[in-house]
Amino acid sequence: MTILNQAEWYDISRQTTWTPKYVKEEELFPEEMSGARGIPLEKWAAYDEPYKVIYSDYVNTQREKDAGAYSVKAALERANFVDEADQGWVSTLKAHYGAIAVAEYAASTGEARMARFSKAPGNRNMATFGMLDEVRHGQIQLYFPHEYTERDRQWDWAHKAYHTNEWGAIAARHMFDDMMMTRDAISVAIMLTFAFETGFTNMQFLALASDAAEGGDHTFASLISSIQTDEARHAQQGGPALKILLENGKKEDAQRLIDVAFWRSWKLFSVLTGPMMDYYTPAEHRSQSFKEFMQEWIIGQFERQMQDIGLDTPWYWDEFIRALDETHHGMHLGVWYWRPTVWWNPSAGVTPDDRDWLEEKYPGWNSTWGKSWDVIIDNLANGRPELTGPATLPMICNMSNIPIVGTPGDGWNVVDYPLEYEGRLYHFGSEPDRWIFEQEPERYKGHLNFIDRFLAGMIQPADLMGGLQYMGLAPGEIGDDAHNYAWMAAYQKEAAE
Amino acid sequence: MALFPISSNFEDDFVLQLVPVDTENTMDEVAEACAVHSLNRRVAPREGKILRVRRSSDGTVFPRDMKLGEAGLMPTETVDIIFSDV
Repeated sequence: MTILNQAEWYDISRQTTWTPKYVKEEELFPEEMSGARGIPLEKWAAYDEPYKVIYSDYVNTQREKDAGAYSVKAALERANFVDEADQGWVSTLKAHYGAIAVAEYAASTGEARMARFSKAPGNRNMATFGMLDEVRHGQIQLYFPHEYTERDRQWDWAHKAYHTNEWGAIAARHMFDDMMMTRDAISVAIMLTFAFETGFTNMQFLALASDAAEGGDHTFASLISSIQTDEARHAQQGGPALKILLENGKKEDAQRLIDVAFWRSWKLFSVLTGPMMDYYTPAEHRSQSFKEFMQEWIIGQFERQMQDIGLDTPWYWDEFIRALDETHHGMHLGVWYWRPTVWWNPSAGVTPDDRDWLEEKYPGWNSTWGKSWDVIIDNLANGRPELTGPATLPMICNMSNIPIVGTPGDGWNVVDYPLEYEGRLYHFGSEPDRWIFEQEPERYKGHLNFIDRFLAGMIQPADLMGGLQYMGLAPGEIGDDAHNYAWMAAYQKEAAE
Repeated sequence: MALFPISSNFEDDFVLQLVPVDTENTMDEVAEACAVHSLNRRVAPREGKILRVRRSSDGTVFPRDMKLGEAGLMPTETVDIIFSDV
């Protein structure tokens, strides 16, 4: 018997569309789950996925990937890397696992929605593998940090974070719920795989892999590189879906979904990855600044993809480019200042040498962010540590659910973007955040951010301890300075002289 | 007399903050309450300057002795706390 080449039978094997006889098409593919937008079934058959994958090949490849990552882990387990590593890097690992691992598991639900409800057979086939990918990513990123849980309780947040009302967890849940848990299959293909994964997971998984390798953390480098190879495949589901939407007169809808998801992703990465790359990773192990990485890996690639597909860059593109110099510095300062409210120990990253690096990468840093840190450093150097921690809450954006920040000092430009809707006053951290709300106010209006919950009396007692309890942060879990303020030595020496 | 939350946007600081004040507070007292959370924490004092309260949405600088309850602000509305000569 002759065995056909895969290319000769692949299209037939994944062409699982049939004409339903016992139910109507709209019952088989309800619009709210499928999101076909009136485009007929036969048009979706033209969906042309760039990766042609079959189950047996998939399983073999994934087995090899897992074997590779797990064997690196096993080989290096006795080296106890985390015990010797810089505490800033340890904080990066803790923040990463808590923010990512369980969200990956949840992402399998978004993939499953495409696998079942997308009207495009190619999308259904790819999403089946995407679903298995995300289960793997959830499991492997819970398994790897598990061995560290005996060291301290913050590691337990790899699993715990998404099951709490910690403010960062609320922010991440709100975003992922919006783009992958509560959207139709085609919206998931565009918002999750095209905007978020193609646009941004390169950042978390390539940039951090590079920093990890530089710093000698080969276990983490091999783990996230292994994950990125899956992302590179299943992130390709959005492109062909966009092509079909554009061919069928749905450009405006497609553009809006991307504009919403890209901005939401950017804001989350500004609080997660920005501080990790520019402050937590020791300066000698940073391969690029956050801004340089964004420019090289995100902006150029995303602009090209949008152009190739026939879409425009989002309407807020100039504001996005401008914000690359600003937002993550504010998020970092906020996370460090409100450090008891996170499950990792933020690294200040502002020794005199660090500040030279920041000034070089972000000209003007010392006369803006540096001025805020000058006051903090002065307080620490002169025995006033109580002034370097929070006595109230930051205002939180009603879209991104992270603090509303801007540039301090000589470049002071902090602005609220308020909106009164049905008698309630909402606050947003930027014009795009407010614009997203205005696209679908019914969708977003009921959500209470951390400040709304505080003012509604849901957080008791209404003080820092009550807030920490509400967030699920127990003693031994609440954050403090990663280096126990050792970075102050140079400034204390200066003050003594 | 009623507790009234405002959003404080303190000049030279990097973040908006929730500050509980009272409708009976004068604008000088509001500025003082906001200063507790920014001044000498992340913002250096400025010699010879006083703090004034400005409505963020339209730039109105409130009289120093005006009571908060008379200003027509919504709960959590943002005010700028600015350094001023007068």
